[in-house]
Amino acid sequence: MSESLEISKESLEIAQKYQPKRRYLLAILQDIQKHYNYLPAEAMETVARYLNVPLVKVYGMATFYKAFSLTPKGKYIIKVCDGTACHIKGSVNLLAEIEAILGIEPGQTTDDGLFSLETVACIGACGLAPVAVINDEYHGNLTPASLRQILEQYQGGMEDAK
Amino acid sequence: MQNKKTIFVCCGTGCQANGSMKIYQALLEAISGLNLKVEVVADIKKTGCHGLCQKGPLVHIAPQEITYIHVKTADVPEIIERSIIKDEVIDRLLYFDKQQNAKIQSKSDWTFEKKQYRIALRHCGGIANDSIDDYIAKGGYQALEKVLKTMTAQQVIDEIKKSGLRGRGGGGFPTGLKWTFAAKAQGDVKYVICNGDEGDPGAFMDRSIMEGDPHTVLEGMAICGYAIGANQGFLYIRDEYGLAVENMRKAIADAHSKGLLGENICGSGFAFDAEVVRGGGAFVCGEETSLIHSIEGSTGEPTPKPPFPANQGLWGKPTIINNVETWANVPVIINKGADWFASIGSEKSKGTKVFALVGKINNTGLVEVPMGIKLREIIYDIGGGVGKNRKFKAVQTGGPSGGCIPESKLDLPIDYDSLIAEGSMMGSGGMIVIDDRTCMVEFARYYLKFLSEESCGKCVPCREGIKSMLKILSDICEGRGQAGDIELLEQIGAMVKANSLCGLGKTAPNPVLSNIANFRDEFDAHINDKRCPAGVCKNLTKLYIDKEVCIGCGLCVKVCPVGAISGDKKQPHILDEAKCVNCGSCRERCAVDAVRVR
Amino acid sequence: MQIIINGKTYAANPGEKILDVARRNLVEIPTLCHSEALPGLASCRLCMVEVHESGRTQEVAACTYPVSDGMEVVTNSEMITAKRKILLALYNLIAPNSERIKGLMTRYHVKPFDRLQADAESKCILCGLCVKACEELGTNAISTLFRGTKKKIGTAFEQPAAECIGCGSCASVCPTQAIEMTEADGKRTIWDKTFDLQRCQDCGEYYTTPEALAHVRQKLGETVGNIEELQLCDYCKNRRTAEKLKDGLRLNELFAAKAK
Repeated sequence: MSESLEISKESLEIAQKYQPKRRYLLAILQDIQKHYNYLPAEAMETVARYLNVPLVKVYGMATFYKAFSLTPKGKYIIKVCDGTACHIKGSVNLLAEIEAILGIEPGQTTDDGLFSLETVACIGACGLAPVAVINDEYHGNLTPASLRQILEQYQGGMEDAK
Repeated sequence: MQNKKTIFVCCGTGCQANGSMKIYQALLEAISGLNLKVEVVADIKKTGCHGLCQKGPLVHIAPQEITYIHVKTADVPEIIERSIIKDEVIDRLLYFDKQQNAKIQSKSDWTFEKKQYRIALRHCGGIANDSIDDYIAKGGYQALEKVLKTMTAQQVIDEIKKSGLRGRGGGGFPTGLKWTFAAKAQGDVKYVICNGDEGDPGAFMDRSIMEGDPHTVLEGMAICGYAIGANQGFLYIRDEYGLAVENMRKAIADAHSKGLLGENICGSGFAFDAEVVRGGGAFVCGEETSLIHSIEGSTGEPTPKPPFPANQGLWGKPTIINNVETWANVPVIINKGADWFASIGSEKSKGTKVFALVGKINNTGLVEVPMGIKLREIIYDIGGGVGKNRKFKAVQTGGPSGGCIPESKLDLPIDYDSLIAEGSMMGSGGMIVIDDRTCMVEFARYYLKFLSEESCGKCVPCREGIKSMLKILSDICEGRGQAGDIELLEQIGAMVKANSLCGLGKTAPNPVLSNIANFRDEFDAHINDKRCPAGVCKNLTKLYIDKEVCIGCGLCVKVCPVGAISGDKKQPHILDEAKCVNCGSCRERCAVDAVRVR
Repeated sequence: MQIIINGKTYAANPGEKILDVARRNLVEIPTLCHSEALPGLASCRLCMVEVHESGRTQEVAACTYPVSDGMEVVTNSEMITAKRKILLALYNLIAPNSERIKGLMTRYHVKPFDRLQADAESKCILCGLCVKACEELGTNAISTLFRGTKKKIGTAFEQPAAECIGCGSCASVCPTQAIEMTEADGKRTIWDKTFDLQRCQDCGEYYTTPEALAHVRQKLGETVGNIEELQLCDYCKNRRTAEKLKDGLRLNELFAAKAK
């Protein structure tokens, strides 16, 4: 089966866990995002048909909400917290450091598909500010230097860089 | 005779970030491994937030009432050996209370706790976050039963009205009055919604309640359903709050299995069900009409009010939306009575408020205080003041919709109206303390940048107004400020406040206008002198090392990312301005405050 | 019921909005996103007025705020006009070539900002009229995409849309002529999609696309008389209707038949 057809088939199965009502559009898209790590066009088309919602409205949803990405995310998703507590403790410097080392800005993924960078506003770990989360691993009290070390460990293939 | 001990391990997201789940697991394994059941029954609960997040991970042991801070997995064997099997206290894990100048055994005696009064947070930290039995053991669902069996819908509304409860999401609208509108509205289908979108950066009050005490929210919503004639509730929880979503879903399932949700609750004939809807990642969805449209399956773009949701809300039906913390207060008001609730707080702001006290403050964490308490008390008595060598500058309340309260106004009582009169607002409860190292111009820009990304973009005042104000502020921060900029910011700000379609736009200019009003001199320095007094704005800051103060320890050299500092050991060091990128790491690291701003 | 606008009293009907009463009585309130056919967008925020009601004063959007008996409305106070000017200056930044906005700036004595730079290429004000037109009159081929300052109007994946029927409703409701629709050699191009154009049965001019025609047919159903009229361009349709009306006898017959 072609990849396109495979995605359509799979995403229909994901969608069918919900009744075909407009109100489930957000939840279905979230499940698809979780499954593929992005929203493939074929998946969005399938969902539009299943829910009988205009395709452009589905695309509008996909581009409105931050939970969704239209291109695959990296293997490691770096979320730098730019909540107020982290901001005043220098989260901006962490972002600058990541740009210097990896060459990406928030919303971008490295060419090798290893890292994606996002900013989030408040993870709720303000006591550890500034904080970055890499694939659910929390790293607190960061400085540009300590962040550099951690990234090097991820690049080297070590998942548990704590 | 069994020696029963209960261990409460804080497993709120903050402490989990610090490894508390590993501690919880280690305790479980250690206890089961030791087969202690003969001597000791150790009940280990993973709970919600204990409050003093700064000192996490936190572990509390009952009945001795011992609280350990900064616990590590390596401490587990000693805790088991000395505090569970025996009754000893491990001194080194106790909190040293600077204000009392002593180590304190139990968190209830910490100075941090003294002025607090926990109503919304009454169960957080004291019950397992996934146990309905714990909730019931503490009196949970009694209020719902009382309402269903002994009160009419009107009596419930009257009680909430009498209590003086006002919306805790920030708007402060009288809750009882809102319920009255929905109760009166025509229609046999009505809805109850919990706004768990908590988007203000630095705020995690609602997250903690949803994680640590989900049932109190459900109970409050069911009571409202009875009062207004609604049988279906929705909890809109922001996408980023994975643990809250999980715990809330489990709570709903557990409540169903005990007949406390679903059909015929407590045999009364009243039916109420609840469903979690996960947000998609949009701050604007905290606005009630946006939230409603998000549940309906659309983008979170607001629509005009009137009509108000109480009359025409979700799918056009009468809908009550309240904030998580508002819901948490409802069961207590029913149980203890409106008069009791109204006896707490100030004249127009009854009850308590939960705040997330964060930033440059010694005691970071979640606090709940009676309304009317002075800001000064929160900052200094509860919060323990700012760090050493630093000077308090302001406290930001109300998040991106609020403003900064300077030192001179710290005797302001915390209540809805005083804060609005001051150009800020209560907001959802984020309280960010800033010191002399925060630039008020950059801080205003930070909030505007956040809002410019979160604006839904539907209306020009918000979308383009914020963009223009952001451009001007960025110019000011980067050294391109011009005469007349402040006046222009004020004019555009006034228009955005009045003309925007929704609350996001209407309050967006607040941080800017508030900072201009209270810290005008900083703005003037940036514009006229091209200088950032706080030493934050990179283009307007020149750092140097004060030869008189520097002790030559070399710590700054280690943290400098560009090698701009040099010097011999114990000799005054030198900072090369040409190489310096103004990251501020050296200033942060220096123990003697030798790095200065020109 | 009655409301007072700028000191004068006017009759109002329950359920109406302030703007309805104002327009009916030729009281001037500027708008950009208002349309009789597609009401209630409330996105342009230009129609803000001062309202005094039940002892409260607020600034509200006239297009969506409901009237109440005895309500007092002020459209031209210092408070309102100062903000209106700033708002129009902002509109000028994002649609500097729009005749409509230039006209409004002249009318309300607004100078462009000199501190902020207009985007010379920008035309769309994101009022949303086009999207609503496509929802109501068309086939949901366009929608708002992204959010905040990145918000734009477009088709799914910003590719030519299968749903688009080339009816041009979007282009015709746009207050700033921001939607490009070109016609040449019997073809129409809009949203990167090219359509054949159909000729009017009477005059032979190109006037619509077969897809748009089919869509309207489907919506109206196959009722007698409609099919013929659909094959006519607007001019010829009006001409034919005028001719029918000129025939007074026919009209009297029509009325008599109705009265029975």
